[in-house]
Amino acid sequence: MIKNKLFLAYTILAFNAAFIESSNMVIKNAEIYDGIENNSYQGHILIREGVIAKISKTSVPYADKVYDAKGKIITPGFIAPDTQIGIVEIGALSVTRDDESSIYSIGFSIHDAFNPNSVLIPWNRANGITSAITLPRNTSSPIGGLGSFFILDSKLDILSEADVAMIGRLGGSGSSSRSESLALIDDILSFASSLDKKNMLTDASIDEIIDDSSIASYMDFKPRDVKALYRLFNDDLPIIIKSHRASDILKLIELKNTYDLNLIIMGAQEASLVVDKIAESKIPLIVNPINNIPNSFDELASNINMTSMLEKAGITLMFNVSRSHNYHLIRQGAGVAVANGMSYGGAIKALTSNVAETFNLKNRGSIKVGNIADIVVWEDDPLEPSSMPEKVIINGIDTDLTTRSTRLRDRYIRDLEKPNTYRN
Amino acid sequence: MKNIYIFFYFFSIFLVAENYEPFQSTYEPLPPTNTIFRNANIYDGEGNELINTDLIIKDGKVVAIGIDLLSSDDLKEIDASGKWITPGIIDIHSHMGVYPAPSVKTSSDGNEATSPVTAEVWAEHSIWVQDPQYALALKGGVTTFHVLPGSANLIGGRGVTAKNLQRNTITSMKFPNAPHSLKMACGENPKRVYGNRGQMPSTRMGNAAGYRKSWIKAQSYLSKLDEYEAKSDEAKELSYKPTRDLELETLAGVLRDEILVHNHCYRADEMATMIEIAKEFNYKITAFHHAVEAYKIADLLAENNICAALWADWWGFKHEAYDMVQANIAIVDQARNGTGCAIVHSDDEIGIQHLNVEAAKALSAGIKAGFNISKARAINWITSNPAKAAGIYDKTGSLKVGKNADVVLWSKNPFSIYALAEKVYIDGAIAFDRYSGLEPSSDFDVGIMNPSKNRIEL
Repeated sequence: MIKNKLFLAYTILAFNAAFIESSNMVIKNAEIYDGIENNSYQGHILIREGVIAKISKTSVPYADKVYDAKGKIITPGFIAPDTQIGIVEIGALSVTRDDESSIYSIGFSIHDAFNPNSVLIPWNRANGITSAITLPRNTSSPIGGLGSFFILDSKLDILSEADVAMIGRLGGSGSSSRSESLALIDDILSFASSLDKKNMLTDASIDEIIDDSSIASYMDFKPRDVKALYRLFNDDLPIIIKSHRASDILKLIELKNTYDLNLIIMGAQEASLVVDKIAESKIPLIVNPINNIPNSFDELASNINMTSMLEKAGITLMFNVSRSHNYHLIRQGAGVAVANGMSYGGAIKALTSNVAETFNLKNRGSIKVGNIADIVVWEDDPLEPSSMPEKVIINGIDTDLTTRSTRLRDRYIRDLEKPNTYRN
Repeated sequence: MKNIYIFFYFFSIFLVAENYEPFQSTYEPLPPTNTIFRNANIYDGEGNELINTDLIIKDGKVVAIGIDLLSSDDLKEIDASGKWITPGIIDIHSHMGVYPAPSVKTSSDGNEATSPVTAEVWAEHSIWVQDPQYALALKGGVTTFHVLPGSANLIGGRGVTAKNLQRNTITSMKFPNAPHSLKMACGENPKRVYGNRGQMPSTRMGNAAGYRKSWIKAQSYLSKLDEYEAKSDEAKELSYKPTRDLELETLAGVLRDEILVHNHCYRADEMATMIEIAKEFNYKITAFHHAVEAYKIADLLAENNICAALWADWWGFKHEAYDMVQANIAIVDQARNGTGCAIVHSDDEIGIQHLNVEAAKALSAGIKAGFNISKARAINWITSNPAKAAGIYDKTGSLKVGKNADVVLWSKNPFSIYALAEKVYIDGAIAFDRYSGLEPSSDFDVGIMNPSKNRIEL
C-alpha cells in the first residue's frame, strides 16, 4: 500500500518537474532576501523558462503554477565555495577519490572527474546548496590544481563551469620554510607573467618555453600547467591561497600587488590582526566562522568574533566548513557569525552573491530579474540549522528533496512488519 | 624492643604503600556563588520544561526549584526573565587534553597505536592540562567532559571524566568518584592500523577474535584474583597474590562491573556482534560511540540498556559511516516506547562548543521523521543521558534538588543558533560570565602573540 503511494508520489513529482521546466511558475507572498540588499522585502517572483522573469512587490504576476510562500523566507540557492562534492565519495576509500594527480600540478583540473550521481549532491541540495565549487586536494607544491563550478541538480548532462579557480597554500608545512614557499610562488608567478600569447599556440611551443625556464623545468611543468598559469594573467583567473598566519597574509597582499593577482585567501584564521590591510587590498576571504581553534601555530589568533570584525571593515566574505561531506553547514557557520555580531543580510550574501561575484559565476547567486532561478524556500529562518528547505529550485526547476538519508530513515521507521530488506 | 618498633615502622610504611590508591581526584570547587535565578525558563534535564520558574543554588548544590521561591540575604539575585537555564552540558566523547590545540605531534597523545590491545594505558596520563580548548568548551556551556583514548586499538585503554575547571594537574580536574571507563573500537580503524603492518587484526573477524582472546585472559586473571581474595588472612600469608598486570587489571575491572565500556562502533551488524561478545563474557557495554547505524538496531540497544552517543549529522569520511540518517538520535531515543538512551556527542573541538545546536538539528530531524519529541526531552541528550553513561547521574546531569549545581544560563532558547551561554556554574560557583569578562585562560594563552596580552585579546 505504502509502496504504491510512494510510486504515485514519484510519478506526480516527475510529471511536475517536466511540467515546470517547459512552463512558468510564481512564488507569491515571500519574504525575500535577494542576496543584494541587506534587508528583506515582501514580493512575488515569476520564473519563466528557468529565469527570474519578474519580481513584483504589488500584484501577483500570472503563471500556470502558483506557490504560496506566505510567512516563508526565500533566499538565493546557497553556493559553497570550498567543497569536494562530486570528486570524493568516501574520504578514507581511495578508489572513490578523484582529487589528486601525480602527473600534473598547477594545470590539474578535477572537472572531468565530477560524478553527478554522488550521494553528496542530493544531501547538500536538500539542505539548500544549489551549486558548489569543487577543489582538488592541496599538494606539496605551494600552487597546484584547478577547481570547477557545478550545478547540483544531479543530471548526467552536467552543468558546470570548468576551471574557475586555481588553488595554493602558504604556511608552516613541517618540511621546509615558508620562505622557500614564498620564493617558489614568486618564481612561478614571475614565469607566468612573462608568458606571451604567441608562445602559447601549440604544446610544442609551450614545451620550448618550459625548456627555457629553469623554474618550469625544475617544477616539471607540462603544457597543461603552463596554460593554467597563463590564465592567471590573461583571464584574471582567481587564485585561492590557503593561509592563516597574519604575517603570511601580509606577504600574500604584497604578492597580489606585485603581480596584480585576482587573489582570494582561504582560512585566514589570523585575519583579525590585519583587518585594515586586507580591507585595503580588497582581497575576498573564505573563512569558517565557527572555527575558533588555535589548531596550529599559524592560527593562534583564531577567535569567534573574527567574522563580524572582517564584515565591519568591508571585506568580502565567503564561508567554508572544517569537516567533509556536510558542506551545507556553511549556514550553521553563518548563524554562528550572526550570533557573534555579523549582520544577517551580510551572512546571506556570504552564502550567495559574494561567491558568485568573486568567482564570476554569471547570473547566479542573487534574486534579480534576468538571473537563473536558483531559489530556496525555507520553512523557517535559514540560519537556524534546525530549519530546512521546503523547496529547492535549480534552473527554475523544482528539485526532488529525497535523499539516501531520508530513504534509509524511512526503511527503519515505516512498514516495520516486513523484513527490512523487503521494505522500500 | 627498639628493633620491634623499627619493624613495625617499616611494616606500616609497607602497608601504606600497599594501600595507596594513586590518581585519586583532588578536585576542589571554586568558592560558591550562591544565587537565586528569578523567572527563568528551565529545561531541567529530567524531561520537564518549567516556565517563569526560580532556581536557587547554594553551597555548590541545587537547593530549590519552583515558583516564587523565598530569597535570603546570602543569595545573589539574577533576573533571568526571558532567558533559559539548563543543566551543565556533558560531552561523553571528548579528546580535549589528549589531542589538544595546537594539533602537533609532540602533544598528540590519544592513541597508543603500538599494539591492538593496550588496556593498560590511561587517557588521564596523556592529558595536557594547559590545552586552550577547555575554556572554549566552557563558553559553550560544557561543565563536564569524558576523555577517551583514540580508536586505533581494539581495546584502547581507560578514559577519564573531568570537571571543566582547568587546573594545573589532572587529578585536580578529575570528577570525584566517577567510575573509570574503557575504550574499545570496532571496524575500520584497528583493522587498518594493524592490517597495514601485516599483523592481526586485518579483518573484522580478526577484530572479534582479538577482543575474545583478551577477555579469556581477563577471566583467568580475575578468577585467580577472586581465589586469592576469598582466602582467609592466614591462607593469604601462605600464598602469593597474583602478580599485578595493568592490562588485565583494567579488563578485570570491567568484568567486575567497576569500569564502564565505551565502544567506538559504526555498523549495526558489528554492534550486534559486540553485544554477543559482551554476553559471552558477562560484561556490560555502557555506550556505543559514533554508531552511525544505531537506527538499524535501535530496539536491540534499548533492550540491552545500551546508550548510543552520536553526531547529529557527520558522515561519509569512512565507508562504515556512509549510511547516515539525521534522525538517528531520535530513532534511538524513541526505541521500545521511548526507553532508548540517546546522547549527542562531539568528538570534536568545535562541536563541543555547540552541543546545544547539534541537539537542535537532531531534534528537528526527529520531528520530521514523525516523532513527537519535546525540547525538554531532547536536552537530556546532552545532559542527563551522558551523565548516566559516565556513571555520574547521581551527582550531575539534571537540576534536581541535592545535585551539584552545574548550571548554564542561556541568552535565548538553547535550541537556537543565536543562543549564547551567558553564565556557566560548576558546583555552584561561577566559572564563566560573558558580560563581566570572567573566563579562564590556560598558560598556553598567556603572552603567546603579544607578551602583554592573552592569546585572543586583540
